[in-house]
Parts: sequence; structure tokens; C-alpha cells
Amino acid sequence: MSAVPLWVARPAGASAAGWLRTVDHKEIGVLYIGMGVALFALGGIESLVMRAQLATPNARLVDPELYDQLFTVHGVTMMLLAVVPLLVGFANYLVPLMIGAPDVAYPRLNALSFWLSLVGAIVVYFSWIAGGAPDAGWFSYPPLAERAFAPGPGVDYYILGLAVNGAGTIIGAINLAVTILLMRAPGLRISRLPLFVWMTLVTSFLILGAYPALSGGLVMLFVDRQLGGHFFDPTAGGQPLLWQHVFWFFGHPEVYILVLPAMGMVSEVIPVFSGKPIFGYRFVAASSVAIGFLSFSVWAHHMFAVGLNEFETLLFSVTSMLIAIPTGVKIFNWTATMIGGRIRLLTPMLFAIGFIAMFVIGGLTGVSLAVVPLDLQTTDTYYVVGHLHYVLFGGTMLGVFAGAYYWFPKMTGRLLSERLGRWHFWTAFVGLNLTFLPMHWLGVQGMARRMWTYAADTGWGPWNFVETAGAFVLAVSMAIFALNVVRSLRGGAIAGDDPWDAFTLEWTTTSPPPPENFRTLPAVTSRRPLWDRKHPEMRDAS
Amino acid sequence: MRPPAEAIGTLALIVGAIAVAIFIGVEGALVYAVWRYRTSRVSTPARFDRNTRLELAWTAAPALTLAVVFVLMLGTLRDIGAATDAQLRIRATGHQWWWEFDYSGIVTANEMHIPIDTAIDIELASVDVNHSFWVPELGGKTDMIPGQINHLRLLTRRPGVYLGQCAEFCGVEHAWMRIRVVAETKEDFDRWLATQGSPATASGDGARVFQSNTCVNCHAIRGTSARGEAGPDLTHVGGRATIAAGVLPSDAASIRAWLVDPQRYKPGAFMPRVPLSDADLDALASYLGSLR
Ligand code: HEM
Ligand SMILES: [Cu+2]
Ligand SMILES: [Cu+2]
Repeated sequence: MSAVPLWVARPAGASAAGWLRTVDHKEIGVLYIGMGVALFALGGIESLVMRAQLATPNARLVDPELYDQLFTVHGVTMMLLAVVPLLVGFANYLVPLMIGAPDVAYPRLNALSFWLSLVGAIVVYFSWIAGGAPDAGWFSYPPLAERAFAPGPGVDYYILGLAVNGAGTIIGAINLAVTILLMRAPGLRISRLPLFVWMTLVTSFLILGAYPALSGGLVMLFVDRQLGGHFFDPTAGGQPLLWQHVFWFFGHPEVYILVLPAMGMVSEVIPVFSGKPIFGYRFVAASSVAIGFLSFSVWAHHMFAVGLNEFETLLFSVTSMLIAIPTGVKIFNWTATMIGGRIRLLTPMLFAIGFIAMFVIGGLTGVSLAVVPLDLQTTDTYYVVGHLHYVLFGGTMLGVFAGAYYWFPKMTGRLLSERLGRWHFWTAFVGLNLTFLPMHWLGVQGMARRMWTYAADTGWGPWNFVETAGAFVLAVSMAIFALNVVRSLRGGAIAGDDPWDAFTLEWTTTSPPPPENFRTLPAVTSRRPLWDRKHPEMRDAS
Repeated sequence: MRPPAEAIGTLALIVGAIAVAIFIGVEGALVYAVWRYRTSRVSTPARFDRNTRLELAWTAAPALTLAVVFVLMLGTLRDIGAATDAQLRIRATGHQWWWEFDYSGIVTANEMHIPIDTAIDIELASVDVNHSFWVPELGGKTDMIPGQINHLRLLTRRPGVYLGQCAEFCGVEHAWMRIRVVAETKEDFDRWLATQGSPATASGDGARVFQSNTCVNCHAIRGTSARGEAGPDLTHVGGRATIAAGVLPSDAASIRAWLVDPQRYKPGAFMPRVPLSDADLDALASYLGSLR
């Protein structure tokens, strides 16, 4: 049992060159998480500047050019450069441990995917000092993103950066999928996989289906901008809507790429802290597969206002409503897992419950966007901005925090502070509701998204002020988390192998795990191998 | 057929009520579980982990609810869909960052007048990038996409001023691309349209300043030789309530301030600063204000 953090314990981790050369999945996981945290902080700073600008009507803190760059880079960062690496980082670290493998299938490829992802992110951020950041929104619609209307280099950095970053993400997805399919410990059948691993598997296939569409779109946009092409240029026979179809064919699955792994995290946390097996394992796993397939059939719900014909409108409305069903199944099963349990309200569980509570709001407003007449009022307004942040902050990020508190002891050998954890949770909860709830009514009242300012006579000032205050509460909350991490790394309580009385394989090895992960593996005869070992008299049926 | 905003409003109430009911049920169950099964109340947790009947029930119940919502939606779609009952057609064209309204050849900008109790088909076009025409109290939004014409049905029964906003990000001044719709009785509307159709009558020093400067390269004033098309038509600009798509009121002092430095009020807008003497500015501002 080692009490020293991983990066000190591992020889490769002791030097910068070691980090550059490493092909160890745990170290690459830590690198990914570090990248995710850094970019999340950058994206967060961008959002605070935006919120400061919008706090009062007619403000001139930033000019419109800068505001446009801020929301574009914030969107790109949060959707592609920050949260994907965070989730992939956790998967990288945890999947081999959870399936009883010594590493991922292709360790060197793993390093390649990380470095490609990082270089892609650096290319996007380099634009700030190379003539201007991209400013056409994270979905960069032509004609606005064409050279005629966006003559600066920003959109080109967007294209290049996302193409490189995407290549890394695609390679990483192949690696994870192969690892999960081929490297499971003896006895760990697919039907016994921990749910985080299940959802990582589905996510990997989503990446394989979605990211190539983005890459294709980026190539076309590049041809238009740099080689005189006309894919999206209506003045030369091109079709601006083609981009929207291609982009959202990627963009909608991307949302599930961000949400499913977080759902996997809370699916691990809730049973452990309820002292009960997950309720409806098969339905939770199968609903992820259903969400995976459906997520490729809903893309045009982002386009109800572009003048789709009646058939397309109804088709995409139905598919978008359908996707609510497997999502609901998950929420019901998590709640049923808690019922009858013995709930330990420690920080990981607080965040997991917060995830469910907030995700329900994002899910319900999401269904309202599938109802076409309502979508026509709310799309492209702050209602959507509110909706997407309930899904991605209230959902994904709270889920990631649940996972972070849960697995931090495994990764470092030390526990995070419960007291700071509670402060972190409650400030995040209050901050996120203050920031994102009023957005719904502002949207319905007429506040479009991506407005750099608004007139005083709109009456939108007071709620915007509340939102800005909320955003700063969120910033404080993130600072508390950072403090918690730093303090625990320095001198947190020693965790031991299994601090949470958990069920799955990663808790059978030391914290942090040795380079080869396991010295001995328990026999796997059910979904909860560690439970079986601790309670031989009450083993789970296989 | 119902006014679109009304139809959507009714649907929103029904869907909203269903959503609130589900919200209370789900969050209630969650809070109940946390409270009822907290550590101090349970000594050993139960071990049940499946119930297929329950799973099927909570798969079927949302499906049925959604089916009901879908059917309700179909009714509403008929009211907001194609304006098969249109009695008036207006061509609305998006420009970076202003609106052009064309009533079968009578052109105006940024302020749209419509008669009440009349179904209207708005043809939506764009000359540059995507925009989206949205006046929340009149109905949903529809995008303006270069290379295609979209349609939006409008109908209202209440006279009044309705404010809107471009809803699709269209470049730096997307925020200052506001819409003002004046709904009025049929008689008032006809009178307004007749005025818009007539050429400008004002003249004087301001007219001379306008004609002899670069203004004419971008703006048209019917009845004069100014035929520019890059900016809004100014034939009756003094009769509108605001200028520059809702940035400033249209009184002479505001117009003058705008002329002194458009970039100060709408940074990024395509109207340059035209250097003029104070006297010319005064004359020009009062001339534009008098174009009613
Ligand atoms: C620190 C908390 C956050 C705050 C205060 C915040 C605030 C904002 C604001 C003010 C906007 C711009 C709205 C506009 O001008 O239209 C925005 C847009 C956006 N945010 Fe956040 N955000 C936060 C976290 C996140 C997270 C965690 C994600 C995703 C994982 C995210 C994803 C997005 C996206 C995709 C957009 C749209 C960008 C675009 O319009 O191109 N945000 N956010
Ligand atoms: Cu979507
Ligand atoms: Cu716009």
C-alpha cells in the first residue's frame, strides 16, 4: 500500500522526459486529465469574461469581435478540447483496471492519441496570438465561416486544430474499444462489465461514427476557404445547409459522447454508496446502446428553423422524442438502485445525486426542443444555452466530479477532504442554477444566443445580472475543488486499497496501482467480484 | 387558422404542465429515496436488483406520454405551417446587419408594418450569410439562408408594436439586428403603405449634402437620384421609430449623433464615418428626420 502519489512513485513520472515518453495507460490517463483540467479552466475564464460583459445592458467591457471569439473558443473548448480529454483520461486510467488488464491494447498508439489531441488544442489556442481566434461559433456555419465573411485566420486554425484533435480522439476510441472487447480478465463476460466500461464502449463507437463526419466537413470547409472550392457557397452553386447536415451528424452524437461516460461514472458510484447492486443492469446497459444508435438519427433537430419539409420535420421530431425513452430508463434505474439501499451521502454520492437532479431538467427541456413548434420559439436563444448547460454542466460535469471524488484515492492513494467536497458541491449546485436557470426565461422573452450586448429597453438586465453572479459563484466552487486537490496531494488522509467498500476490480489492487496493475486477480464469477471476495457467504449469482 | 403565437403558446402550456408533473415526480422520488434510505435509518441494505415488469412499465409510460405530445404537436403545426391562407405577401431580406422589407415593389427597412386579422406569408431571403427572422410574440423563427427562400406565416389579432431580433448568429453586429413590427388596422396599414410607396418630398440643404456625399453610394431615397443598395432604403426613414435596426431612436439629435460616428453605436457595422462640417451635419440630420 503506497501513500505516495503516482507521479512520484513511478520512475517514468519523476522527470519531464518521462512524461513525454510514457506509454503507461495510467500516466497517459493523468496527462489527458491534466489537459482536460487546463482547457476547462481556459474555457471557464472565457465564459466569465462573457458573463461580465452581459451583466448589464449596453456594456463595453469587450468589443463584439472579441465577444464572438470568446463564445466560439469557449464552445470549441468545452465541447471538444476540455471535457472529451477529461472523460477519455478517466477511461484510459480506469478501463484496464476495471477489466483486470495490465494496460490498453496498443500502449504506443495511446500515447499518439494523447499527443495529437493536445497538439490540436494548442493549434486552436495558438490562433489567439496568430491573428485572431475563430469567431464563427463552435458550429461555424457557412457562409459566415467562408473566407468572404471570415477573412482572418481564426477559422483556419479551427479547421486544423479540430482535425488534428479529432484524429487523436478517433485513434483513442479504437484503442479503448479493442481493449474492452479483447482484454477482459477471465470470467469477465460482456454481461458482467462494469457499467462505466459499458458506456465507454458505446462512446468509443459513437466517436468512430461521428468524428469522421466532422473531419470530412472540415476538409470541405478547408477546400472552400483555401483552395477556392464552393461546397457551401451559394453564389457559386454550393449549399450552406450541407454543412449543417454534416456538422450535426457529428454534433449530436458528440453530446452523447460527453454525457454517456459521465452516466457510466454515476452508474458506478450510486450502487456502491447505496450498498446495493445496480438495479436493472441489463436495461441500463441496453439503454446506452439504444441511445447510441438513436443519436445518429436525430441531427436535424438542430435545424427545424432552416425550412425542412414536412416529412423531415416529423421524422426528426419523432426520433428526438424517442431518445428520451432510454434516457428516462436510466434515471428510473438509478433511483430504484437507491431505494432499499443504505445511502452513504459522501461527496461522490452527493455529486451523483446532483447529476440526476440536474440532468432531469436538461432532459425535460430537451424534449421540449423536439416539439417542433416550441423549438421554433426557443432554438438559437438563451433557452437553448440554458438547456445545454444543464446537460453538460449539471449533467456531465457533476458526473465527472462524482467520478473524480470516487477514483482520486485510487489514482493518488489519498482521500479528498469531505468538508471541502461539500462546499464544492453546494457552491456548484447553487452557482449552476443561478447561472443557467434564468437563461430559459430570457430566451423565451426574446434574447437570442451569441449577442454581445443588449438594449436596456429589453428589460433583460436584472436576470442577466443574476446569471453573472451565479457564474462567479461557480468560479469560486471550482477554486474550492482545486484547493481540495492540492491539499490532498500534499497531505490527504491515506486511502488504502478500497476506501469506499466498493465492488469492482480496480479496488482490489493498491492505491495507486503498481505499473503492471495487478499482482493477483480475484476470480470473476459475477458483476461484483470484490463484493464476492468480501462476502463469500453472500456471493452474487453469476 | 389560429395566430401562430397563440397556437404555440397553448401547446407550450400543455407540454410545460406535463414536464412540470414529470419533474415533480422524478425529483420527488429522488429526494424521498435519499431521505428514507439514509444511513441512520437503514442497518442492512436490501439486495433486489431487477424487476422486468417495472422496467417495461417505465419504458412504456414515457412512450405513451410522448405519443400524446406528438399528436398535440401535429395540430399546432398546421397553424404555423405554410400560409395557404395568405392575403398579403412580404419579402423580408436579411443583410449584415439590417432588414429589408419589400411589399411587392414598395421597399422599406427595419420596421415592418402589418395589418391585423390578415394572414401573411413572409418570404425570407438573405443576400449574405444566414440570419433568422424572429418576433416572439408573433410566432416562431425561420432562418434566412442565401440561395433559398423560406416561408413564415404571420397573423395577429392585436394592434401594437412587436419587437424581435435576428436569431441566427450572423457576424459582429448580430446583437444589433433588431426587428420592429407595427401591427395596425387595415385602414392604418393601407395609409402607411401608400405613404411608403410615394417618393420623398422634403428638400433643402440637407438633401444637397446627402446627394453630394458618399451617402448615395449605399442608400436609396426614392424621388432623388440616390439609388444605393448596400444600406437601408431611407425614403421614409424619419417615419420609423428607430434607426440602424433598433440602435437609436430616430429623432434628429440621435440621427446626428449616428452620422458623426456610426461605429460608436454599432461597432463593426458597414457604414463608415463620413467627415462633414457641423453645419452640414445639422442640415443632413434634420433632412433625414423630415423624411416621413
Ligand atoms: C463555468 C461554467 C460556464 C459558464 C458560466 C458558461 C457560460 C456560457 C456563456 C455565457 C455562453 C455564451 C452564450 C452566448 O453568447 O450565446 C456559453 C456558451 C456555450 N457553452 Fe458554456 N459556460 C460554462 C460551462 C460550459 C461547459 C461545462 C460546457 C460543455 C461541456 C459549455 C458549453 C457551451 C457551449 C457549447 C456553448 C455555445 C458556444 C457557441 O455558441 O458557439 N459551457 N457558455
Ligand atoms: Cu442535438
Ligand atoms: Cu443575426
